[in-house]
Amino acid sequence: MRSFSYMRADSEAAALQQAEPSDVQFLAGGTTLVDLMKLDVLRPAQVVDITPLRRGPAGEIRADGDGLRLGALVSMAEAAAHPAVQSGYPVLADSLRLAASAQLRNMASLGGNLLQRTRCPYYRDTSWHACNKREPGSGCAALEAPNRMHAVLGTSPACIATYPGDLAVALVALDAMIDLASEGGRRSLRVADLHRPPGETPERETNLAPGEMILAIEIPAMPWARRSLFLKIRDRASYEFALASAAVALDLQDGVIRQARVALGGLATVPWRAHEAEQALEGKRPSDDVFEAAAEVALVDAQPLRGNGYKVLLGKRTIIRALRQAASMEI
Amino acid sequence: MSKAAPPPQDGMGEPVPRIDARAKVTGAALYAADFPVANAAHAVLVISNVAKGSIRGIDLFAAKATPGVLLVLTRENAADAVKRPSYFAEGGHASTKERPLSSDRIWHDGQIVAMVVADSYEIACDAASRIGVTYDETRPAGKLGGPGTETVAASAVNKKHKDPMVGDAERAYESAPFKIEVELETPTQHHNPIELFATTCLWSDGKLTIYEPSQFVYGLKHGVAEQLGIDPTDIRVVSPFVGGAFGSKGSVTPRTALVAIAARQLGRPVKLVVARDQGFTVATYRAETRHRIRLAAARNGKLLAYQHEAWELTSRIDDYLVGGTEATTRLYAVPNAATKVNIVRADRNTPGFMRSPPEVPYVYAYEAAINELAEVLGMDPVELRRVNDTHKDPITGAPFTSRSLMRCYDEAARAFGWSHRREPPGTASDGDWLIGWGCASALYPTQMSVAAARVRLVRSGAAHVEIAAHDLGTGAYTVLAQAAAEGLGLRPEAISVTLGESSLPPGPVAGGSITTASCCNVVAKACGQIREKLSRAVAQAKDGPLAGTNRRMLQFANGRIVDSRGNGEGLDQALDRLGTGAIEEYAEWIPHGAKPEGLQKLYRGSLDIVGGPMEDRVAFAFGAEFVELRINRYTREIRVPRIVGAFASGRIMNTRTAHSQYMGAMIWGIASALHEETELDERTARYVNKNLADYQVPVNADIGEVEVIMVPEVDRLVNPLGIKGIGELANVGTAAAIAEAAYRATGKRVRKLPIRIEDLL
Amino acid sequence: MKVNGQLHRLSLDVRTTVLDTLRERLGLTGTKKGCDHGQCGACTVLADGQRVLSCLTLAAAAEGKEITTIEGIAGPVGALHPMQQAFIDHDAFQCGYCTPGQIMSAIGCVREGQAGSEPAIKESMSGNLCRCAAYPKIVAAIRQASGEMRGS
Ligand SMILES: Cc1cc2nc3c(=O)[nH]c(=O)nc-3n(C[C@H](O)[C@H](O)[C@H](O)COP(=O)(O)OP(=O)(O)OC[C@H]3O[C@@H](n4cnc5c(N)ncnc54)[C@H](O)[C@@H]3O)c2cc1C
Ligand code: SF4
Ligand code: FES
Ligand code: FES
Repeated sequence: MRSFSYMRADSEAAALQQAEPSDVQFLAGGTTLVDLMKLDVLRPAQVVDITPLRRGPAGEIRADGDGLRLGALVSMAEAAAHPAVQSGYPVLADSLRLAASAQLRNMASLGGNLLQRTRCPYYRDTSWHACNKREPGSGCAALEAPNRMHAVLGTSPACIATYPGDLAVALVALDAMIDLASEGGRRSLRVADLHRPPGETPERETNLAPGEMILAIEIPAMPWARRSLFLKIRDRASYEFALASAAVALDLQDGVIRQARVALGGLATVPWRAHEAEQALEGKRPSDDVFEAAAEVALVDAQPLRGNGYKVLLGKRTIIRALRQAASMEI
Repeated sequence: MSKAAPPPQDGMGEPVPRIDARAKVTGAALYAADFPVANAAHAVLVISNVAKGSIRGIDLFAAKATPGVLLVLTRENAADAVKRPSYFAEGGHASTKERPLSSDRIWHDGQIVAMVVADSYEIACDAASRIGVTYDETRPAGKLGGPGTETVAASAVNKKHKDPMVGDAERAYESAPFKIEVELETPTQHHNPIELFATTCLWSDGKLTIYEPSQFVYGLKHGVAEQLGIDPTDIRVVSPFVGGAFGSKGSVTPRTALVAIAARQLGRPVKLVVARDQGFTVATYRAETRHRIRLAAARNGKLLAYQHEAWELTSRIDDYLVGGTEATTRLYAVPNAATKVNIVRADRNTPGFMRSPPEVPYVYAYEAAINELAEVLGMDPVELRRVNDTHKDPITGAPFTSRSLMRCYDEAARAFGWSHRREPPGTASDGDWLIGWGCASALYPTQMSVAAARVRLVRSGAAHVEIAAHDLGTGAYTVLAQAAAEGLGLRPEAISVTLGESSLPPGPVAGGSITTASCCNVVAKACGQIREKLSRAVAQAKDGPLAGTNRRMLQFANGRIVDSRGNGEGLDQALDRLGTGAIEEYAEWIPHGAKPEGLQKLYRGSLDIVGGPMEDRVAFAFGAEFVELRINRYTREIRVPRIVGAFASGRIMNTRTAHSQYMGAMIWGIASALHEETELDERTARYVNKNLADYQVPVNADIGEVEVIMVPEVDRLVNPLGIKGIGELANVGTAAAIAEAAYRATGKRVRKLPIRIEDLL
Repeated sequence: MKVNGQLHRLSLDVRTTVLDTLRERLGLTGTKKGCDHGQCGACTVLADGQRVLSCLTLAAAAEGKEITTIEGIAGPVGALHPMQQAFIDHDAFQCGYCTPGQIMSAIGCVREGQAGSEPAIKESMSGNLCRCAAYPKIVAAIRQASGEMRGS
């Protein structure tokens, strides 16, 4: 690990006062940041510890008629255990509960979770030369090497790294927003616009400005989100990132799907909203045929490689299974 | 008694709680990196990121400029520091003949090219990351069967290996009514004990102390002495607790000599804790294998022919070999067998022992083939094994010292409920989960080594056992206390045990499941010598309750020496008669078939192991495992709700520790079937998933019910105490049972490991 | 940093983790390093009563926190914590290397109310790898100790 200067920020203002924003990393739970600094992948000159902000609004969960507001420094464990999350947004609670481990969920913040980096092994291990995300222009080792874990959606010839997180997938399905602050002021952004597909610049992972801070996640009121779930498929029964995941919500009235939400994880370079699948569901009565058709369109643009071809079929099956389960939920 | 401490049956030992348990649950147990060593400097390795070629240059400028850096060892300043290691398979000590830092040559990915030593671990890591190494790279050949590798017959390069052979398998196969031919593969696997490979070296007055987790402290002492060119008596290895090993800490790896050299040069202790990812290439692993198997049988299931050709990967430097046909040919009566093992040299680090090194890959392949044969025959796989059970070695005709395979099947099948099996494949399910059952045999050769030990009995009735053996979590501390307690008629609580210290009388490597048999027998022998002396003293005494009795009729019980009527005296009085405050006996034990020179060899840190197929007898332990899988109809996740194993392995010394050993090994079997695989990037011959997130081992939630049945077995031939090894038996065969269950659930035959979601979609 | 009730004033390299501070500076080697990257759980300690991974916690960020390690849970005069005793009773380890982390995590699991059922325990303990694979016995130990911990 390279040396850095450490600063503890007791207020939002203090956190945003940065000499050189592009050299700053915020420290929340540290479970991504410290890990990647040890691996020499991230080398910030300054680390700004924002955990004291937990004592303010950034550490609060608020639920009211307008929806749900989750402070960026709320831990994954707290959010997963919150009654409003569990009852109103099962998809969200599941996405947190099924992620990482109990220890990591105690440490990790929601804001940090959204900004976790890919688990692509060639990115995480600096002894591999070719990684466009880590060293722009160096190539992509994963295209030809074992790539069982890599993405089939949203890839580019420059990078096929999977976005590994679970929470963001649920949030994208729920049309969530994030509140941001920087020295220049505040703004909000759709979670769906936070992560950038790799394109030709995989090193630019998000649409945050350097030094910009996430304050909170806002989830709109959505009563029918009670019929929602997050299905995560992995080899191990726990403590593993998704090979494929689906966040689904169904507005089922009188046996007809009025509205549907489908987002995918483990399959794509960014949290992936499957709008076409949603359209294929809306107005239909739930049935295996309808679910299969929706799954089919969701992966129609998939671009499999040697090691991850199975993800196309697995992705479809994950969607079908999630939809079947959601349709039969007792709510 | 809880599940953890099964009641002992005929002849089994009590489930005495581990005598080192308290140290382990309080954090007091000192593993290698835990020893308080004042003023230690910290070392970090720099390893190559190419697999073949040579070093062009090493840029040390930035590293050396980092404040706090004390030393950087490279080929520039340490090329002659390490003498050529002797390879263990050629009678030496080391895991490889690779001589660290000796030249520009790169033999494999992750080879040590430099070692940084600094005032702190943080500085050493930082400096190591600033070292730039450039290479002249040539295209490596790292994959089994890939272009550029070199295949040779094992029998041509290894004098000890003879391909087992009997009858005329080719002809028998051609003319048989029922037959199959299958090809199977097993992957690269790494031991990944949770304890990292740590080494601390400390010089004082020209003498070296090494704290390193070791399965063989004598081997480490002599191996390092050889590599440093110093007298072995000047080295002491300390390794009282080992945080898991599974074979990875059995022989000397290149790092140790480097740490010793740095410590000597700096005049300061040096501590190296090898990072998890580096452990994949600076120690050993289980190499991938390929198998082509043909089996033929008569209508009634009797095997007629067995042909097996196998390929195992090794490095360019060392011809590592497991040769598991020695085991497979002993499983069933087969009149015609032809086997051939090949090794394939590639640009990889040298493989090494990993829990049941030959048996895990070979028995998986053989047992998977047997299960397929059962289907072709339309037979219950248990019945197919029964028909082919045997009590003599199919290859040599020698008798088994004992063999209870079918008793294991019967007990495990009953506990599992095998009689409710559903046919054909794909017909059992529970909601969205497809259910499949499978079974397979386990076997493991009973191996033994010469050993020496010292036992001291003091007036208070306490005794102390000393032997340079090792407890890797196997329970060796506890069973040796039990052996001494039994030998001296004391309670186990009265016994203390010191292990893992190279100044003690030599015990064997803690590998090949040889510790319990070899060490309990030598401790029993030392106790016998103590009994003999004390019995003689009390019987030949002029007075006392036992004076004039026949000393051979005396018994040691409850801290006393008694005759058949219960008259007797305390051990303190007996010691008084000898006129000593304590009695200490040194013993050496030589198992059947071993040479007496074996002990001199062991004192020099070399092994002489006997067992398995011997000239006049064959010694193996057996077991049977049954498993249930649940596989999701849609997404094909594979879950293991239950597994049952029954094992017969001679005398069980402690049903508690044995239960844990069997259970842990069965879970290893599950891991090898469904989880573990080191991925290789073929173009660069480099490992990809060198960490505990991507190299998958099971987590708690993966493990359902694990039922262990210990089948009592009395073996009077194998050794005086009738002990066989147990540590490696139970992960043999598991993968074949699981492969069968996966087939039964889904109708898909997967002939490679691990079996993953994508194989069943 | 307060460790096991004792306040330590340390000047440290800013890069030092809580794990390395405990082991290399404070001589508290009961907490183990198995991966250094949050992938094994061997380094689990309690920070302000919550189980966390000490290998991914910078010592600087732990300033002012109460850290509890395996050395800090036994009672006075060496009476074992019920979880320690339960691990012995159920032979919930072999090599013992993952054990301090398992025990600290198990205490956290009970305190978080995750020890109500076997599946809940298994999920909640899946962040602690045991290569010796003592898993079923770890679950049994937690079931035993959770009753005793609630009782006391
Ligand atoms: C072994 C392992 C397994 C895991 N498994 C899963 C899994 O299954 N599913 C899953 O979803 N995740 C998983 N994770 C990832 C884990 O959830 C993330 O590391 C964690 O959520 C990150 O949160 P943090 O608070 O620790 O972030 P930090 O490490 O503190 O920060 C991460 C990044 O976000 C930035 N940041 C943090 N907070 C803010 C903010 N408020 N505003 C702006 N920038 C900010 C930091 O500067 C840094 O760049 C796993 C991690 C590990 C180590
Ligand atoms: S997939 Fe992306 S992150 Fe991975 S090696 Fe290629 S460029 Fe780097
Ligand atoms: S050492 Fe911290 S999780 Fe492995
Ligand atoms: S007891 Fe050995 S790793 Fe758990």
